[in-house]
Amino acid sequence: MDILAELNGNIATVGYGLAAIGPGIGLGILIGKALEGMARQPEVTNTLRTNMFIGVAFVEVLALLGLITGFLF
Amino acid sequence: MAESDHGSGFHAPSIQEFFPPAIWFDGTPFEINRIQLVRYILMIGLILWLWLSTRHAKLVPSRAQSVVELLLDFVRVQICESTLGKKLGRRYTPLITMIFFSILVMNLGGVIPFLNIAGTSVVGLPLLFALIAYVTYLAAGIRAQGLGGFLKTNLFPPGVPKALYILLTPIEILQVFVLRPFTLALRLLANMMAGHLMLVLCFSATSFLILDGGGLIKLTGVLTFVAGIGITGFELFVAALQAYIFALLTAVYIQMSVEEEH
Amino acid sequence: MPGTLLADEAVSGIEVFLPASYDIVGSLIVTAILAFFFFKYLMPKMTALLDERAAKIEGGIEHAAKVQAEAEAAKAERDAELVAARQEAARIREGATGEGAEIVTEAKAKAQTEAQRIVENAHRQIEAERQSAVVSLRADIGSLATELASRIVGESLADDARQSRLVDRFLDELDASTAPTAATAGPTDQRPTEG
Repeated sequence: MDILAELNGNIATVGYGLAAIGPGIGLGILIGKALEGMARQPEVTNTLRTNMFIGVAFVEVLALLGLITGFLF
Repeated sequence: MAESDHGSGFHAPSIQEFFPPAIWFDGTPFEINRIQLVRYILMIGLILWLWLSTRHAKLVPSRAQSVVELLLDFVRVQICESTLGKKLGRRYTPLITMIFFSILVMNLGGVIPFLNIAGTSVVGLPLLFALIAYVTYLAAGIRAQGLGGFLKTNLFPPGVPKALYILLTPIEILQVFVLRPFTLALRLLANMMAGHLMLVLCFSATSFLILDGGGLIKLTGVLTFVAGIGITGFELFVAALQAYIFALLTAVYIQMSVEEEH
Repeated sequence: MPGTLLADEAVSGIEVFLPASYDIVGSLIVTAILAFFFFKYLMPKMTALLDERAAKIEGGIEHAAKVQAEAEAAKAERDAELVAARQEAARIREGATGEGAEIVTEAKAKAQTEAQRIVENAHRQIEAERQSAVVSLRADIGSLATELASRIVGESLADDARQSRLVDRFLDELDASTAPTAATAGPTDQRPTEG
């Protein structure tokens, strides 16, 4: 059988690219909402910022897991 | 991407960038390679800058002292006191200032002309700073609420129906004890590695395209050069931003450990 | 493996996240030196400077406020003292004018008594002199009158006895007419002079 086309490389790159879509959107929504809330009520900025970081921590983990999986496997 | 004959193809940067050959003391734990050397140089630069600016610190500051004071006030007011409040902020300001300044200068190494690598782009330093932050916020939480109190408030957050604890508590355990330090380290590391790799890619592409490209392809070399300039500016911004985020998250974690209710 | 030029071993993926021993050592040394610098030198110095500056500003403001309060208190005190002093001065002035008037009246009274005394003395002296004048006049008048009478009367008075009787009679008349206070019981018969 002839090889018609060949592709070299690491599929981890594609995997990471896919893995970054979800957290990207998620972080965008999360931080956008937090900013909106801060704009509506500046006096709760600190509370909103703290809770935003908690949320960001959860979401960012997924993106970073995508990154290191490429290195692990 | 892989070329078997070296010297005629394009060598894209790889992770090997971050493991250069040793200069001195090869093989021992005190091995000094290019990156370690850059770290030492950046450390000496930071200490010299701060020391010379504040050597004769006056009440009415000179210009260099004003710059240092600007940054110090930024950290103290924007990071420490806005998240931790006045009293607690005062106690943790030295640590957070150290973290901010060190990471900022180490990050900036990536854009400094003859250094060209960020001191934080190899895992040792980010991991160490993350461990410092980890120990600090655990100690702060235990000191403020006692071990039991700390575990109770953080692992069993109040205001949640009891059934959800089965789901929530393992996540919280992972968060507090594993994920926070690792994400701190990893965020910094990944940003710096990616930035460095982008810069190296752009500039090596420029040299390859201009020197070895045929015909009109040389012009794309100009494009990659401009992109390299742009990414240098972006790297400057990312350096400062990552330092700010690291310091801010440390402060936020300390505050979350110390506060009585979620 | 792409990009391995001189390294003896290729770096696999996971090693990115596991720090090598030299990495750890290097990081520890760098962090230790930085921590030492920050905690022992920079932060104490800058916090002390900041505190000093804040204290100076606050102390300066407080000091200014305090000095102003003191100045106002002093001013109020001075005003009160001024008012009291003015009142005192008015009182003293009134007292002084009263006293002055008193002194004047006293002096006047004293002067009057003194004047009276002097006048009395003068009267007494005048009386005494008058008396002596009368006495000497008496002596003179006798001889003068006799002289005159003898000239007028001529030699009808050559008789001595007659002369002396005339003289005594004349003198008694004189005494009686000119000595109302002397209380001498002179002969009260008044005889017109002959002539």
